[in-house]
Amino acid sequence: MASTIGQIVEQTPSSEVLSRAQARATLVPDCMVEAKRIANTVIAGWHGRRKRGIGENFWQFRPYAEGESLSRIDWRRSARDDHTYVRDREWEAAHTVWLWADMSPSMMYKSTLAIASKESRALVLMLALAEILARSGERIGCPGIMEPVSARNAAERLAASIMHAPLTTGLPDTAMIRGHSDIVLIGDFLDDADRVMERIAPLGRRGLRGHVVEIADPAEETFPYTGRTEFTDPETGEKLVSGRAEMIREDYQRAYFARRDALGESLRRLGWSFVFHRTDHLASEALVAVHGYLSGLPAPKPAGERS
Amino acid sequence: MSALIFANPAILFGLIALPVIWWLLRLTPPRPKTEVFPPLRILATVLKREETPSKSPWWLTLLRMLLAAAVILAIADPVMNPRANSLNAGGPLVLVVDNGWATATDWERRVQTARLLIDDAESADVPVSITFTANASHEAVPGTAAAARDKLKAANPRPLVPDRARTAQAIREAMNGTRPGTLAILSDGMAAASDNDAMSAFAALSPAEMRLVEGDGHSAVALTDAVNNAAAMTVTATRLSTASAQQMNVNALDAQGRALASGTLQFAAGSGTATAEIASPFELRNDFARLNIDGLATAGAAHLLDDGFKRRRIALLAGESGSDFQPLLQPLYYISRALLPYADVIQPNTADLAVAIPQILQGNPSAIILADVGRLPAETYAPLQRWIAQGGTLIRFAGPRLAAAPADDPLVPVILRQGERALGGAMSWSEPQSLADFPSFGPFAGMPRAADITVTRQVLAEPTPDLAERTWASLADGTPLVTEKEVDAGRIVLFHTSAEATWSNLPLSGNFVEMLRRLVQLARAGGAASSGSAAEGATATLAPYRLLTADGVLTTETGTARPIAIAANQVPVASFDHPPGLYGTEDGFTAVNLLAPKTVIARFDPTAAGRPIVREGLAGGEAVSLRPALFAAAFALLILDSIVVLFMNGAFSRVPGRRRTAGGVAAVIAALAFGLFALLPGQPQAQEMAPGAGAKPGDEQILERLDTTHLAYVVTGERDVDSISEQGLEGLSQFLTYRTTLEPGAPVGLDITKDELSFYPIIYWPISATAPMPSPAAISRIDAYMRNGGTVLFDTRDQYSSLDGGGTTPNGERLQAILANIDIPPLEPTPTDHVLTRSFYLLTNFPGRYTGSPLWVEARQEAKSTGAQLSSSGDGVTPLLITGNDFAGAWAVDSQGAAVLPTVPPDEMQREYAYRSGVNIMMYMLTGNYKADQVHVPALLERLGQ
Repeated sequence: MASTIGQIVEQTPSSEVLSRAQARATLVPDCMVEAKRIANTVIAGWHGRRKRGIGENFWQFRPYAEGESLSRIDWRRSARDDHTYVRDREWEAAHTVWLWADMSPSMMYKSTLAIASKESRALVLMLALAEILARSGERIGCPGIMEPVSARNAAERLAASIMHAPLTTGLPDTAMIRGHSDIVLIGDFLDDADRVMERIAPLGRRGLRGHVVEIADPAEETFPYTGRTEFTDPETGEKLVSGRAEMIREDYQRAYFARRDALGESLRRLGWSFVFHRTDHLASEALVAVHGYLSGLPAPKPAGERS
Repeated sequence: MSALIFANPAILFGLIALPVIWWLLRLTPPRPKTEVFPPLRILATVLKREETPSKSPWWLTLLRMLLAAAVILAIADPVMNPRANSLNAGGPLVLVVDNGWATATDWERRVQTARLLIDDAESADVPVSITFTANASHEAVPGTAAAARDKLKAANPRPLVPDRARTAQAIREAMNGTRPGTLAILSDGMAAASDNDAMSAFAALSPAEMRLVEGDGHSAVALTDAVNNAAAMTVTATRLSTASAQQMNVNALDAQGRALASGTLQFAAGSGTATAEIASPFELRNDFARLNIDGLATAGAAHLLDDGFKRRRIALLAGESGSDFQPLLQPLYYISRALLPYADVIQPNTADLAVAIPQILQGNPSAIILADVGRLPAETYAPLQRWIAQGGTLIRFAGPRLAAAPADDPLVPVILRQGERALGGAMSWSEPQSLADFPSFGPFAGMPRAADITVTRQVLAEPTPDLAERTWASLADGTPLVTEKEVDAGRIVLFHTSAEATWSNLPLSGNFVEMLRRLVQLARAGGAASSGSAAEGATATLAPYRLLTADGVLTTETGTARPIAIAANQVPVASFDHPPGLYGTEDGFTAVNLLAPKTVIARFDPTAAGRPIVREGLAGGEAVSLRPALFAAAFALLILDSIVVLFMNGAFSRVPGRRRTAGGVAAVIAALAFGLFALLPGQPQAQEMAPGAGAKPGDEQILERLDTTHLAYVVTGERDVDSISEQGLEGLSQFLTYRTTLEPGAPVGLDITKDELSFYPIIYWPISATAPMPSPAAISRIDAYMRNGGTVLFDTRDQYSSLDGGGTTPNGERLQAILANIDIPPLEPTPTDHVLTRSFYLLTNFPGRYTGSPLWVEARQEAKSTGAQLSSSGDGVTPLLITGNDFAGAWAVDSQGAAVLPTVPPDEMQREYAYRSGVNIMMYMLTGNYKADQVHVPALLERLGQ
């Protein structure tokens, strides 16, 4: 089917969960290798958490504020001039980061324009994040798949857990997540922004800091279809026939970007970050962006700029 | 007649497959490209109408079903009105085919019908006897089908009336007692005289079945007669099918086949005959060679006309030749004037009747007119009488000589009394007589009473019992004025009054022309042509010259036609030996037409056979195969389907680099173009002419220039010179407006390289040596302008500057340079008697700002000898004027009307004279030699005075 633009990379009948899991399991090691590779490139660039907190490394001097413990005053520095300074240390406390990647059939999509399938990219990103975070000592968890662990080989363990995980679609139960953790959600979020937010908003209200990475295939965004085309939804099997696909391209793109903008706006209001990533770009781009957010960088424009 | 059968009915079982095809078609829609598309929900909000992709649209399925059904039906080959083989196999097939004139139009169908019958006989294995009723000989012995087919192939329609009785006789002899199975008559539907004999002869053969095959008979329309009346030619036609009213055109063609006139045949419903009037001038009717029913190519629909309709040749003889100086008193003057428009008039070149009459008779005229010939040379009586007996018409006019002629003249229609009768006059009580009403018989019947004719003298006829019926016109008191006598085929007519205006004013009247015309028309065109070759009495034998084919076309092929013996006064009728056509030679021929006058076509009545007869129609027309139509429909549906599918697949979308569909796209475009042309035949191209599209820019200006006269000057390019030119011409225009009726428009500056010059009567050209030299092309335009009658006034403006040096001034040199390439006439200073000196004002010199320079004009070449001053062209107006006085400078006024430049010397009278010079020049320009003529007024007055 060289003629079609997009295809399902791993066609997995819903009944055969096991074989799908195996397939995923075969995919995971590749992703692991890839994740390590890109994680190395990222780690080479940034260290620490880049924010003040309980730690040992010097972070910054800041003016003493009324009410602070006197013991925190760094007198050596304060003696240099007339102000009183407090020495902040870089935050080095262990932190729980929940990683979750959408494994629904719609993620198993790869068009001819893309480098990898969305699922593959999502896994790579997730494992790479796990690798980076594990190296910086964070606790890595995956809702419904793996309890948070703090280990150097957390990424490998996450990969192993994913291999054996049952097939799930949608956001799993998040009741076990306690407050003040970070959660990274990786998926395509093709539902309505409202429906996505319906599920995400409770998490935000519970105090979780969230980072949403939207993986999109370039074909989904540029809509390069022409002529009479029958579109099939890989999740529901629903079909739509467009008589002349090129005629609706602009309308579609408008709706597509409107959804993304709405999602991004809602997340921003929730205080969550939103990273958009296209599978024809390098995975490290998204990784850098997410890592930046996790490290407490102020939110720049989303790293996956709309092309 | 609407039976529908299928040649291959088994194929129709294919229709059972239609539901299967339906199901298949429903399952295999025009296949879209299938694409997995995760953001389908977003797409769904955009894509409003949800298509059912698993099925084709119902109408497309219906289209394909129709396509399949059309193909199946086409293969099954449905035939409308099929023909059944129902020959009786009990004996030979006897086929009697009418191939008379009426079968020419549908002969192919008749042959086809006959061939089908022969095929049937072949399949029934019976011998076939085929005969053609319009053929002269018949071979009716039954033979093989192949032989019959050969005979059929060789047969063709003949321009004759079929003779079925002879055919029946031949068949009867040929059959020799054998009882035919089927006797089929392919009839043309028309009754013939011998039908009863024929049908009883056929019945006597006692065939097992008699069958009559007839066409619709619509083409059986024939022209039977054409009569040339005074006002129009009346054509009679007859037709076979009398059911409905019918209108046909009859065209009159000349010898080359060009239609000259036409009339309308209006058959009323139920009526078998109709007449048409072809109204056209007599002169035109002379040229009629044949009549044709429009749109019918049969021998019956053509009617040949012969010399009887041709222009007459008439010989004129007079007793005295008269004097050429007084033509109105010549006896033949009025006659020849009356005859010349429509007849060839022969006048002998000798006054000696003994020589003239044989000479005339040799030319065989239609009529001979003798005006006041009393006694002919004795030896001429016999040939004249013979000529009259053979159809010549002798028209005589009375006169003093005839009145004095002896009474035993054989060439007068009545016995004449000696002497003439004088009506009125000094010694008579009686009044000049007018004419009585024309009798209802004779050629003058229907003419209005000639009330304005009075007869003062006439010759009188002795009363005889038959005098009244031989009198074609008489006076009010009953004495005959025109009498006639028929002599065999010819006729002698006598006007009892003279041919010139001495005895009556009849020759001066229009009635005279009309009477002569009718008489001449009465005369046979060929005169005694039919017997011109031999003096064997009333009958002549003529060889075939041109024959009519069954299609109504004349050919030179005479074939088996034999010479026809034509009796005088008898209309020849076509027969086997003498098919219709023209008989005779190129010089004189007789038309033999297919049908005798007053023939009426009746329907063929086969009941005389007394046996049941099966009637059926011709084959060919009725049995219609629907296969081509069905295939065409299927093909059209296929194209439509292809276009639809290609549209659905988005073949027309702009897909760069999709090479594999490029050919398809091209095919689709071709198909689409085809479809568009088929759907929109001749869609009119809306080509709206913008209002006034013919106008060009500048037209308005041209019209404005043409409306009023404008003075024009040449723009030299030097501003001061040009402004003086404009102001000067403006001043002259104002002066002209005040003093004369000429009111010129605003002055026009001309660029002589491109402006149109011909609108202006005069162009003022101030020469300036410092201005750029005009191009040769511009000078040649000026040359053309002067040659076409325009005048250029060159002004060197150097009268005083040339004084000092005595040589040529720069302006003068420039003028010489300009004129070097122009063909200018010799010049002279305006002479004192030149028209310029007196065309409005009387002037002796022509001053401008300066005075003293002569005004050079074209030298008058002939002036010295004749006093007329005509130059070569331009109505005597000189093409150029040269001065050095600076006219424009003197004329120039500013916007206030004040003079711009002073005159040199400062003398206002000089300015006045400058204006007057300008007026004289303008008048001279515009009136030309009209004013020149006035120069001669003293001379003219002097001549008149003496």
